[in-house]
Amino acid sequence: MVTENKESKFKWGMAVDIDKCTGCQACVLACQSENNIPINTEKNFKNARAIEWIRVERYWEGEFPDVKAKFIPILCQHCDNAPCEPVCPVYATYHTTEGLNVQVYNRCVGTRYCANGCPYLVRFFNYWEPEWPESLKNHLNPDVTVRSRGIMEKCTMCIQRIRRTTRNAKKNDEELKDGDISPACVDACPTDALVFGNQKDENSRVTQMKNDKRSYTLLDNLQTSPNIFYLAKIDHDKEESEHHEEGTHH
Amino acid sequence: MQQRRKLSQKQINQELLSGNLKTPKWYIPTMLFLGFFVVTGFAVILYMFNTGLGVTGLSRPVYWGLFITTFVFWVGISHAGIMISAILRLTQAEWRRPVTRAAELLTVFSLLTALFFPLMHAGRPWRIVYWLMPYDFARGIWPNIRSPLFWDPIAIGTYLTGSTLFLYVALIPDLAVLRDRTTGWQKVIYTILALGWRGNPRQWLLQTVAGILLSALMLPIFVSVHSIVSWDFAITPSVEGWHSTIFAPYFVIGAVHSGVSAVVTMMALMRWLWKWNNHIRPEHFDALARLLIVVATAWLGCTFLELIFSVYGREAPEIALRELQIFTWPWNLLFMIFLFTGYIIPVGFWVFKKARNNIVIMFWTSILVNVGMWLERFLIIVPGLARKQPFTFTWEAYTPSLVEWYILVWSFAWVSFLMLLFARFFPLIPLFETKESQVFTSETKIGRATVPVIYREED
Amino acid sequence: MATQTNIAKYSKATSELIGTTTIAPKKIKLIIMILSILSILGIVGIVLKILNGFEDKSAWGYYAATISFLLTTAAAAPMVAIAPTIAKADWVRPITRIASLFSVVGIVTALASIPLIFALPPLIVDETRRRSIWFEATNYSPHVWFALSIFGLTLCGLGLLYSSSIPDLAAMRDHGTGWRKKMGKSLSRGFIGTDGQWKSLKMRIGMMGTFYFLMLMFVNFLFSIDFALSLVAGWKDAIFPMYHAMTSLQSGIAICILAMFFARKYWGMENYIKVPQFWALSKLQLATTVLWFYFFYSAFIVFWYGRSASDQMVINLLIIGPYLPVFLGAFFLEFFVPWWILVWNPVRKSIPALAVVACLVLVGVLLDRIRIFVISWSTYSNEVIHKKFVPEENFPQFMAPSVADIIVFIGLVSLSALIFILSTRIFPLVSVWETHQSLLLTKVVKYVRTHVIAIGKPD
Repeated sequence: MVTENKESKFKWGMAVDIDKCTGCQACVLACQSENNIPINTEKNFKNARAIEWIRVERYWEGEFPDVKAKFIPILCQHCDNAPCEPVCPVYATYHTTEGLNVQVYNRCVGTRYCANGCPYLVRFFNYWEPEWPESLKNHLNPDVTVRSRGIMEKCTMCIQRIRRTTRNAKKNDEELKDGDISPACVDACPTDALVFGNQKDENSRVTQMKNDKRSYTLLDNLQTSPNIFYLAKIDHDKEESEHHEEGTHH
Repeated sequence: MQQRRKLSQKQINQELLSGNLKTPKWYIPTMLFLGFFVVTGFAVILYMFNTGLGVTGLSRPVYWGLFITTFVFWVGISHAGIMISAILRLTQAEWRRPVTRAAELLTVFSLLTALFFPLMHAGRPWRIVYWLMPYDFARGIWPNIRSPLFWDPIAIGTYLTGSTLFLYVALIPDLAVLRDRTTGWQKVIYTILALGWRGNPRQWLLQTVAGILLSALMLPIFVSVHSIVSWDFAITPSVEGWHSTIFAPYFVIGAVHSGVSAVVTMMALMRWLWKWNNHIRPEHFDALARLLIVVATAWLGCTFLELIFSVYGREAPEIALRELQIFTWPWNLLFMIFLFTGYIIPVGFWVFKKARNNIVIMFWTSILVNVGMWLERFLIIVPGLARKQPFTFTWEAYTPSLVEWYILVWSFAWVSFLMLLFARFFPLIPLFETKESQVFTSETKIGRATVPVIYREED
Repeated sequence: MATQTNIAKYSKATSELIGTTTIAPKKIKLIIMILSILSILGIVGIVLKILNGFEDKSAWGYYAATISFLLTTAAAAPMVAIAPTIAKADWVRPITRIASLFSVVGIVTALASIPLIFALPPLIVDETRRRSIWFEATNYSPHVWFALSIFGLTLCGLGLLYSSSIPDLAAMRDHGTGWRKKMGKSLSRGFIGTDGQWKSLKMRIGMMGTFYFLMLMFVNFLFSIDFALSLVAGWKDAIFPMYHAMTSLQSGIAICILAMFFARKYWGMENYIKVPQFWALSKLQLATTVLWFYFFYSAFIVFWYGRSASDQMVINLLIIGPYLPVFLGAFFLEFFVPWWILVWNPVRKSIPALAVVACLVLVGVLLDRIRIFVISWSTYSNEVIHKKFVPEENFPQFMAPSVADIIVFIGLVSLSALIFILSTRIFPLVSVWETHQSLLLTKVVKYVRTHVIAIGKPD
């Protein structure tokens, strides 16, 4: 449901440069730390119940010795035409005027219909009550809700950071500059492959990356209008024009 | 091959009320056996509420599994009632008479059971109960009318209300018979429920008209309920194999197939348990089997269309899905079982007149059909989720846990328990319909042959 | 039971019904002349179209719509005879002949579809294969299979007509005069009405009927997919073949009602085709009207809710696009107006009202065919057929029918009507043997203080 309010100054977006991504998973760790995501044990991964709001998918291509590893970090695409939004029976997920798809934890009843609707598989369900050892309880982020069992969760673009920064800027009567706000994953990325910003600002890095000729969106035949823009990997062994490879639909 | 019997009213009353005026010998042990599964099943459900959905085999991306399969299965079985009582009543088919009430009863109880499943498969069922009611209980937020999960309880609730009314309206004359033959507290209850029925022409007219009106009104609901349940799946573009326009009629025809087979199972059981050989005769099984051949073939046609169109677009995730569903272990075995039990074996038997009139064969083939239909829903829901989109890194498998299997068993025990409970206090075969059929049918001689005859009003 | 009165009734029936082949309604010669002229004009129109070549696919859109209209109307009409006969309904006996007679129109449809088969684009264009149900099959699979199936359907229909007329041809041999007597003798092949002959006749009719139904579904399936669905890139609609079959039943019932109306008015069949026949068909007409909406909505909601690129294209192209007025016409005439007229029971029993509704439905079905086939054939182009959806800049403009198209339509309809009228010279309009059967099995008896109809059900 596209609810773009023309009065809002912001339309948040993110650009991911696949060429720079090394698959180090620093973004995954930072996200888990920042957003109080339950600890993923080996058992969770085996049961396919691990919660990773941003995950790095790895695909192998080719035969030895010409094997290539391709990494693509996938997070909630904050689709303008999200298939997950209309299906929630209790309105626990909706689209804000700033272009974010948000999840309201205290409204969610856990039917998991939104997760079935999401083609990017970025929605996660708490099958058990999350548990932290006593010592780790001190490291929980006080700005972020700790979810109980039976609730869906997903990437919020660190909306707590967005709110904090915009509120402080308003309080101090300052203008927000590009790069002032960044989610945890963007902060942690060592190669600067993740870029966050306001798409309504023509000079922001994210807008420039969005308009780059390498830019594409995932699963565009589904017309979900995502707000995450991927920049294709430059493969020196192939022609530059042939860059629609990862993640898209053949 | 009409096998009408000439029965006196007294004989009809005696035979059909045999289970109501005193308890049959097999009744208590059977109820204890079923009751065990019912009580332990409830205990398992409460355990799941207490501990969390982690006790199931669900994961990501297979977020819906056995519970939703069983939900759709029970909604499917509920289509038996309307098919038999409404459609056959409106087309004035005489052979429906013994089974109308049992079919409507199966509808009501299977719908009640079906409603349990969306509640118990949600993460926080204690919230879903009141947030799905059409009222802004919290912070002025109403339920999302655009969500198919909101349409589901509306449709099922309407169907349940209509079916219960239908059941009750048809029950009133028989309640009066019971009222006149019992004493004590039983008489008091039957008196209240019989609403003062005296059997005069005015009351009969009202009762008949009410039945016909309800039949006609329930027909669109009958088609729409399972269509709405199918749209839970069909409207989402993300799951290949679900986003298909044929789901609505496909599910409805499958439901009729499944439901009418369940009625056949029930009829065989009724005949054996209460010894109603005069009332449930091989001709009924023959007629139902012929109807089932048509329905099953239409269902097979829809399955065929769905499969053809799923690979029509030649899209990679959909082809991967079909490859999993049809050619990969263990799904290939399940697919074969589904085809054989859903169509090939049952219809293979039903084309032969001898098999149609053999009650043992009809009983087992109808059970096979429902095994196949349960598998059909499972095969639609889970492989679709396991092979959702081209992100093969996230493709996973699904194994239902013991908790889920036990709850499936519980649902069968619960429906049977409720049906038997009803049967102890109310007659399962409508007395007045049986007496009516004695009046509406007759025999006549044409040439040298004796031909059965039915009466119809002059226009 | 062979009383004097009955023998008189039988022979009266026989002579009246065989007489329908010889009596001529007023002005029949004039009508036949007009129809012949229009038919010749139509054939000239077809020749002109062929001479214009098969390259411009959009020029063949209206022709495809015409063939579809003829196919779905006339080929589906025999179903009105087949399905109730298999369900052992007694009301259908007077109208089975009229319904089966429409299979002679199948000759026109089969021959007229030959140019269309040549116009259909091949599967492989520029070394790439477009979407179809034929996968890796040869380039001309659709053409071959469709040609085989349409001729097979026509042969099946003629076989059904012949089988169900054998006793009447025997009656012609015994009571007719002139060339009809000779024709009756050779075609009835020694039918004298022994038990064995009746048994084998009934079995033959049953088998031909079932075969015809299966062939009809197959032809609908092939025609709707190969001649409409696969010509539009990205249009994946699993319910479309069923929708096409459903609307064909709708128009088949309507044309039967119209033919029955004319039979009463101009051939004097008021004593044979009466209100019960119209009443039963009106209920079926009402059912198909509602089912139209159901099938349309099943497709619509999946595309509207899904909102993927190809979903949005289907809605923009086929519903709200350049042919929106045609769609609205089809919506109102196929669903909205007939629904509001037919819900009233007194209207369902009124013969003129039903004839009016039948005309509305036929116009509605024609508009629907125009919408689907003209759009498909105008959208097809070698450039976009391999894409995942048709981009909006490639949407066709609204195209009005050319003069040749209109002449061809009128000509083919006239030719069909002409062949139908000519075949009534050979076959009695109401089946003689079925009339005898209902005379034998139906009688009015006194019941308490009123009269009821007793219908024998010998099975």
